[in-house]
Amino acid sequence: MGLRWYHFALWAGFIILMYAMPDLVSKGTLRTFIFANFLAIFAISWDVLSGRTGYISFGHPFLIGIGAYTTAILTKRFDVAIEISIPIAVVVTMIGSTLFILPALRIRGSYFALVTLAFMELIYQLVQVIRPDLTGGTRGMSGIETLTRGAVNGYYMSLSLMLAVAISMWLLMRTRVGTALSAIGMNEDSVQGSGLSTTRLKLFAFLTGAFVAGLGGAFYVHYLGSIAPRALFDINFVFTIIVAALIGGSSTIIGPMVGAFFLTYLLEYLRPFLPGAERYFIYGGIALIIYIYQPKGIYAVVMQAWERLRSGKSA
Amino acid sequence: MTVLRNSAALLGAMALMATAASAEIKVGFIGSLSSDTGLSTLRGAEMAIDELNASGGVLGQQIVLVKADTGEDVTEGVKAYEFLAETEEVDFIISGSIDDVSLGWMPRMQEFQIPTLDTWTSYVGIIDMIVEDYDSMRPYFMNIASDEALATLYIDFGKDVLKEKMGWDSVIILAEDTAFGGALTGLVTEALAPNAGIEVVDIISYDITTNDFAPLFAKAEASGADFIYLVSSVNSQVVSSQYVKLQVPMGMTGVNVAALGQEFWEDTGGAGGGISTLSPVPSIGFALDPVNAAFLERYQARYDTRPSVPHFNGYNAYHGLKQAMAAAEEAGGFELDAWVPAMEKQDSVFKKDGEMWLRWGWWGNDEIEPRTGRTYPHNVRFDITEPYDDGAPSMVVIQWYEDGTNAVVYPDKFKTGEFVLPSWVKK
Amino acid sequence: MTQIIIQGLLLSGLYALIAMGFTLIFSIGRILNLAYGTYLLIGGYVYFYFSQMLGMPKLVGVLLAVIVGAAMGLAKYRMIVKPLKGDHVTIPIATLILAVVLQSGVILVFGDSSKILLPIVPGVERVAGATIPFSNLLAAVASWAILISLYFFINKTHTGRAMQAVSMDAKGAAVSGIDSDRINMITWGISGGLGALAGVFFASYTQLTPSMWVAPLIISVAIVIVGGIGSIVGTLIVAHIIGFMEIIVTALIAPELRGVFTMVLIIGVLVIRPQGLFGREEI
Repeated sequence: MGLRWYHFALWAGFIILMYAMPDLVSKGTLRTFIFANFLAIFAISWDVLSGRTGYISFGHPFLIGIGAYTTAILTKRFDVAIEISIPIAVVVTMIGSTLFILPALRIRGSYFALVTLAFMELIYQLVQVIRPDLTGGTRGMSGIETLTRGAVNGYYMSLSLMLAVAISMWLLMRTRVGTALSAIGMNEDSVQGSGLSTTRLKLFAFLTGAFVAGLGGAFYVHYLGSIAPRALFDINFVFTIIVAALIGGSSTIIGPMVGAFFLTYLLEYLRPFLPGAERYFIYGGIALIIYIYQPKGIYAVVMQAWERLRSGKSA
Repeated sequence: MTVLRNSAALLGAMALMATAASAEIKVGFIGSLSSDTGLSTLRGAEMAIDELNASGGVLGQQIVLVKADTGEDVTEGVKAYEFLAETEEVDFIISGSIDDVSLGWMPRMQEFQIPTLDTWTSYVGIIDMIVEDYDSMRPYFMNIASDEALATLYIDFGKDVLKEKMGWDSVIILAEDTAFGGALTGLVTEALAPNAGIEVVDIISYDITTNDFAPLFAKAEASGADFIYLVSSVNSQVVSSQYVKLQVPMGMTGVNVAALGQEFWEDTGGAGGGISTLSPVPSIGFALDPVNAAFLERYQARYDTRPSVPHFNGYNAYHGLKQAMAAAEEAGGFELDAWVPAMEKQDSVFKKDGEMWLRWGWWGNDEIEPRTGRTYPHNVRFDITEPYDDGAPSMVVIQWYEDGTNAVVYPDKFKTGEFVLPSWVKK
Repeated sequence: MTQIIIQGLLLSGLYALIAMGFTLIFSIGRILNLAYGTYLLIGGYVYFYFSQMLGMPKLVGVLLAVIVGAAMGLAKYRMIVKPLKGDHVTIPIATLILAVVLQSGVILVFGDSSKILLPIVPGVERVAGATIPFSNLLAAVASWAILISLYFFINKTHTGRAMQAVSMDAKGAAVSGIDSDRINMITWGISGGLGALAGVFFASYTQLTPSMWVAPLIISVAIVIVGGIGSIVGTLIVAHIIGFMEIIVTALIAPELRGVFTMVLIIGVLVIRPQGLFGREEI
């Protein structure tokens, strides 16, 4: 897997820093970290499914929503314990993701993106119409059992989940399977030519992505304590997830994390100065400029600068 | 231009913040900063705060206002509430949130236990939460009559005006497919026939993204009903302007949230004539008592952007904020054990020509409202029975005329005009 | 029955016009322009600003909307599509970001509350129980006229055939001496102008809101998926299938399921015939 000592050192340093955070920053900042952690989970999940394989999904909230709604309905309407409802939610999300897989076996590129957008729209419509007594219809549900109370606990919960996801995905992507997934994104035909089953690889990527999305969605709803279709199946939510993954740097694990933190902080730090719609204007504008300038994201920019610095020194 | 103006206001606000004393009462506003709904609440609160500060503040301290924008987005609402509670550590929160946004941050209210006043959402489900779990919900107050009262007033309107004056016997209900639409439709359908003697011929529930209402109006017409009862809180301009553009040859009344603001005429380019709707008070076209008339005058002198007339929640915010601060004065702060009982006792009565006209008071926690037979803890005290001398009327019916003017047409006590049909409807 | 046919034709004409600009760009280089809906958004607001707020003649308002739309199309091509070299992953994302930026821009300038456009031509006519507002009739007739002229433009003129050539095989077209950059500019300009025009009609049908770019995008996506990539005729037919289906579901089945039926149709087509009803075989 090509693990080096500095990998461990970097991860360890990062983990220690993150766990020490509650002593270093205010509670309000911790809340921002919590949203950043969840966004990082969603962005990593999106990146596993789309960033690597090149099958761009514009319907990621479809998966997150299945996970979130499943556990919300189970705990709120049927009094199922959270420890049972979250695993069920994850499994249901993975089953739901097979709906994504069917078209992905036959179509590619922009066409696949269109289809996933349609899927999100469908579930948005369905949640409101079918059994509103369960889903809460357009108003959604409030008063869902929460896992934690207070900023510090919420922070530790979201951080642990995010780190668990990030490290396991990082390890997974260093295996041969991970390399093969990225190869699909570069040239699907050559992967097929080399005797690997692209169908199985895609299935694997989608199920892994769905696993993380379902897990993240389920914890997210038990953190928020409420759920509303308008907030979840929303093109702005898609926007935030994808932009976090790409601004940070696709096909890496650190990239989506960096992107998620960067965007969440950009938005929150603008709040005291620009409380209104101006915030989104600037936020979107900065995202667009970074993206057009370097589609590979902040990670690539930093790495290039690092390389230049190193070659400058040795020369 | 707007950007420039906003940034100028921002600089002003920052300068103010810098000069403010360290000992201060912090009030948080949560709501949309770009909608008429949010701005009404915000401005009502701003005016109340400035008046209080001018007369020496509260508990000897000046009040500062912190804004958190929700953009009417549910997740942003949760973040905004957290920002107010943890970064700004406010003492009191005033909200101009819409239904699902309030429901979204409600778990945070229960967690932080910050005194919170909602001025716009009328969802009775939130009052139910207070009934079920008073302990965790006690910091929460809602000073608009809940939507059940809305439905009840409509039944009376049906009996007194639609049945007796217009001679209508049957109705077709055209309701949006939302939680609000469903709840109201249920209440109205159940009560309209037995109480008002109006038969419900059919119920059409439509998708809120419907672009084209022509087939629905055709269906309503074919049903043979005497009039349409509309329930619309989302995208209401679409259905009402299509009613006018298509010149649907039957009367339509009901709930139409878009028609609540003075800008309705401008926004519809004049295609709003004949539309009538239930509205919380004080609505447009409402004859105000001297105190509230003076508030409106000061409002219009101070703000030159829309909404030119604050929506009902602007008045709610103005009086509600003053009450919350008076309660703090009595209780010596915002400690819940003292503040909540003090807030529950607040009662502001406004008279016009010697009669009770408007009132911002609260239902007793165990007090049963006689018509609906249930309790409304922490909900504003409303009156749905003539002669409306116990509380403010829960709602009134307002109508837009084809010349662009508007008036209150029901109940009789508050009437400033007559209920009429649009000119293209022949009867 | 007559009612349904009349209402169906009116709505379908509008849908065809909405989807056309999107299909054009999608056929050329499979570029997924998720900011397509913002042509409608900006077009609608430009018209509103000039004709309703400033009181200019309506035709001037429409023309200005089309010009601004076309300019946006050109700008988008030069500043986003060309620098990103037509990439299938980056362009949809960059255009999505752009759409969100433009939406908040509109909120900044005009505020959040929705606005209603005055009918372009006031008045109604009642035929066999169906009410036909002249404005909607104009929208339907105009979209038919525009689609027919577009059909002839693409099939009969030199530029139009060059557009077809680029859409089928960009490299081949370049070899045979077609300046594909010029063709792309023309296509993006037309797409933007059509979108803005559709925006004026769509907004006068429904309302102007800062989020009104999403619904037309979804309609266009539905039409492209069901119709498949390619012909104007295919887009026209599928716009009618979807338009009529909406009217029939609303009038006869269950109005609250209007959107669900469209999405079910999409998924049904995907399972049975993923290249769409009228699409070319290769995807």
